[in-house]
Amino acid sequence: MDSPLIKNVNLFLDDKPSVFALRNKARIALDSIGFPTLKTEAWKYTDIKELINKDFNINTEENTCSHECCHHHNEDTSFIEIRFCNGKLHVEEYNMPEGITLTPLPLALFDDDYKKYFFNAFNLEKHPFAALNGLYLEQGICIHIEKNTSLNKPILIKYNQKDCDNLQLSIHNLIILEKGAKLELIEDFTSASENTYFTNTVNEVYLKTESELTHYKIQKENSKSYHIALNAIKQQEKSSYKQYYLSDGAKLSRQETLVNLDQQNANAEIYSAYKAKKNCTTDITTNINHLVENTNSNQYAKGVLEEDSTAVFQGKIHIAPNAVKTSGHQLHKALYLSDSAKLNCKPELEIYADDVKCSHGASCGELDKEQLFYLLSRGIEKHTAIKLLTDAHLEELLSLIPNPKIKELFFGFE
Amino acid sequence: MSEPLLEIKDLFARVGDKEIIKGLNLKINRGEIHAIMGPNGAGKSSLSYILSGKDNYEVTSGKVLFKGKNLLSLSTEERAHAGLFLSMQSPIEIPGVAVSNFLKQAVNSVRKANNEPELDMLSFMKLLKTEAQKLQISPEMLKRFVNVGFSGGEKKRFETLQMALLKPDFCILDEIDSGVDIDALKTISEGINTLKNENNAFLIITHHEQLLQQIVPDYVHIFADGQIIKTGDKTLAHEVEESGYGKFPSKE
Ligand SMILES: Nc1ncnc2c1ncn2[C@@H]1O[C@H](COP(=O)(O)OP(=O)(O)O)[C@@H](O)[C@H]1O
Ligand SMILES: [Mg+2]
Repeated sequence: MDSPLIKNVNLFLDDKPSVFALRNKARIALDSIGFPTLKTEAWKYTDIKELINKDFNINTEENTCSHECCHHHNEDTSFIEIRFCNGKLHVEEYNMPEGITLTPLPLALFDDDYKKYFFNAFNLEKHPFAALNGLYLEQGICIHIEKNTSLNKPILIKYNQKDCDNLQLSIHNLIILEKGAKLELIEDFTSASENTYFTNTVNEVYLKTESELTHYKIQKENSKSYHIALNAIKQQEKSSYKQYYLSDGAKLSRQETLVNLDQQNANAEIYSAYKAKKNCTTDITTNINHLVENTNSNQYAKGVLEEDSTAVFQGKIHIAPNAVKTSGHQLHKALYLSDSAKLNCKPELEIYADDVKCSHGASCGELDKEQLFYLLSRGIEKHTAIKLLTDAHLEELLSLIPNPKIKELFFGFE
Repeated sequence: MSEPLLEIKDLFARVGDKEIIKGLNLKINRGEIHAIMGPNGAGKSSLSYILSGKDNYEVTSGKVLFKGKNLLSLSTEERAHAGLFLSMQSPIEIPGVAVSNFLKQAVNSVRKANNEPELDMLSFMKLLKTEAQKLQISPEMLKRFVNVGFSGGEKKRFETLQMALLKPDFCILDEIDSGVDIDALKTISEGINTLKNENNAFLIITHHEQLLQQIVPDYVHIFADGQIIKTGDKTLAHEVEESGYGKFPSKE
């Protein structure tokens, strides 16, 4: 495989056999599967040829962020804030409440307690970009919530890409909720630059019995950047995972969510809102595996497609042979702003069990002409009127966000 | 004599491939109230859409001058900037667009186009509160989405509120009395009567004399077959109420 994304670089901790072994495992997996092409079923609508031919650099110099700017950021006290600058974790003294531990990845990589969590929520051989991420395993944060602990504030991870021209940023997080633990986690990707770069993130999420994670993600990378992300979630009995995702940036982005409902009464809800911008590609791919009986999932996506944009929505619900009394639902609603936009929608139901409730629905339409006329007739400029209506389309989905403080972060689209 | 606010000359227009306005002439001066009455399906709403520049309504010949300038070459939003307002027969529901956001965008777009400073959030909210109160529009209603879940009366009061905020020179009121109960009609008429001054003008489309007793027109036009077939004063409205449109023969 000769993609310039794969580099032979010496990384921090390469001299530690256990760390090297993990990176090497990822390398072997990627060597064997290679990068996908349009012939690869899971990637048939998202063309990554341009991306894998980019010669992005790896920043091996410092393993943490030492930027002056980060020491003086305006911290919003409604959130516990964690920062990554240009792909590097900004390490600081966190004043953490009881029951929560934040560990920078290099430390977690040494910790025997965490060993079993690496590359365990997904199969390296099925996720080439996660394998690429594993090759450079070094940056990330491990969030561990003790049994029966719930935080009174959400954790906000800010990924600030401001000085990362031609860089490949690989971030790998572990999120572990012990029995009965509860967490609200927000990931916020913004770029205050015109740099071209590639963000490649993996979150491995482990939800033990009766734990609850509400996971928010706002993706507003700049329009020259590439963003590929995998959220891989393993759920035990009566655990709940809710994901709210907004895709509002990047030249090419793919958010893949893999949920394994491993035990009974586990519940997953995936809400996705996207704006496919002019000449950009937005991919939302979800795989939900109902592996045992009495598991539930729900997917709801709403999108807006601008001219010459491409949107991909692939939602797969797999129901294993013994997974009776499960329910899996999926709905996708798209709004076209132009005939030149391209939507590829692939719902897949793989049902091997009886007595299940499954459904999928899709609709797409244009802007409502009567609504547009009403706004224009009040003197509202056309571009503002269109923005009001497209925001309204997404508003219906984003209004499902339960925490009003977090909802605010999602509004104010470009 | 000063130039008319609105002048329609020999207008022919169609919607889709249906000829709907067939040689209409109308002149409206500042300070005047005109009423148009006519049977259902005569094309009254279509005329209001043509004046507002709605898609699919095509002028095939004739002229419309607004403040002496060609109205027909302007886009819908430019017509609003120039001071034209259409209160719609059936105001459109827009789920997801908050009333206050919509109103602020509209007010500031019109101000901006007329080189007036835009209102900041605080001054806008103050203005909105004052005007809403006059029309008995509750603060709760202002928190909803545009026209969503509004009763008939609320919809028309909301149209009137928009007029109060945008201060247009020329308002077309398309059946502002339909779907409205007596109390709401009184509030709306009072609202409109306070907006009226010697600089602006109103074109009221209605079926009912009752509205014209509350907002008293200077002229009443009977509209049928795509043109005005008779013009008179307010007593004409009474005649229509008594004996319908049948006695007014079409010119054709
Ligand atoms: N978009 C349209 N396409 C085709 N015909 C239309 C359209 N809108 C209105 N019409 C027709 O034009 C005629 C006039 O309608 P309208 O202007 O609503 O009448 P009025 O307001 O006087 O009741 C009606 O016959 C109606 O069916
Ligand atoms: Mg009508």
